[in-house]
Amino acid sequence: MEPSLHLPVESAPPAPSYTGSVPTGFSMKKLAIGLYAAATAALMVWGFYQAIYVAPDEQTMHEVQRIFYYHVPSAMVAFLFFAISLAGSIGFLAFRRNRPDWAQAADAWALAGAEVGVVFCTVVLITGPLWGRRAWGIWWTWDARLTTTLVLWLIYVSYLLLRRFAAGPQVQTLAAVLGIFGALDVPIVYMSNRWWRTQHPAPVFGGGEDSGIKDPGMMHAFLWNLVAWLAWGLLILALRYRVERRQQRLAAQEAQEALNA
Amino acid sequence: MDQRAILDHQFTVAAYVLTWAIQLGYLAWLGLKWRGQKRDAGGSARNPR
Repeated sequence: MEPSLHLPVESAPPAPSYTGSVPTGFSMKKLAIGLYAAATAALMVWGFYQAIYVAPDEQTMHEVQRIFYYHVPSAMVAFLFFAISLAGSIGFLAFRRNRPDWAQAADAWALAGAEVGVVFCTVVLITGPLWGRRAWGIWWTWDARLTTTLVLWLIYVSYLLLRRFAAGPQVQTLAAVLGIFGALDVPIVYMSNRWWRTQHPAPVFGGGEDSGIKDPGMMHAFLWNLVAWLAWGLLILALRYRVERRQQRLAAQEAQEALNA
Repeated sequence: MDQRAILDHQFTVAAYVLTWAIQLGYLAWLGLKWRGQKRDAGGSARNPR
């Protein structure tokens, strides 16, 4: 039905208000984001304090063991974000024909998860060798845990390079397929020091009675840093998602303008 | 403080500093991208083709 251009005054839609609910809602959203960011910053400071000043010194590795409080949470958050990328990639492939809007949102989650996951995985691959140099006397060894982690990082870097430099209508589909295959490496990394004999320390969780953190002070410091890095990661993941959604809208707008020209 | 403890300290500081450099560097890059998008969206609205 065509909209009427001659609506009576009584039935005319109300003029948009710029002083009522819209600005208030916007402010509430900004306030919520600000509060979350402040809580995240507080958690980061608290986590740092726990790791450096509260957690006891490890008996054999001493101070350098404190790298663990940044290294392990970063690995866990990276795994989580690669899982989000996997879910986004599957969602894109599932919805790309029937629900284009959902597919675009899923694609944005896939990209955001992969990119933020690579950032955290980079931290893992830098802090690990720094610890290894002091604990083992070497920067790197081609054992199963380290090698599979490096392969995981390379797969997701190739995913990001594909997204950055390839062009054409199939890029998102190709990236989704690569994202799904890349995520297959996550359980291999996780299980690598259970399946194979490695130089890497035993798992923190689920590695049997002889592994894990025994000291409650160390466990507290570890859990605080895990929560802090998770909060930080979710903040930048949400920001990256928003940036990508805006990029999609700008690209669609430009395409529409080109068609109209 | 013996030589081993000094090296341990330096390596620990390096790990923490590099972690924050990577994370804050990425956040700064995202912020720049966000600002660039706002500028592009403003320019597109002012100068429609």
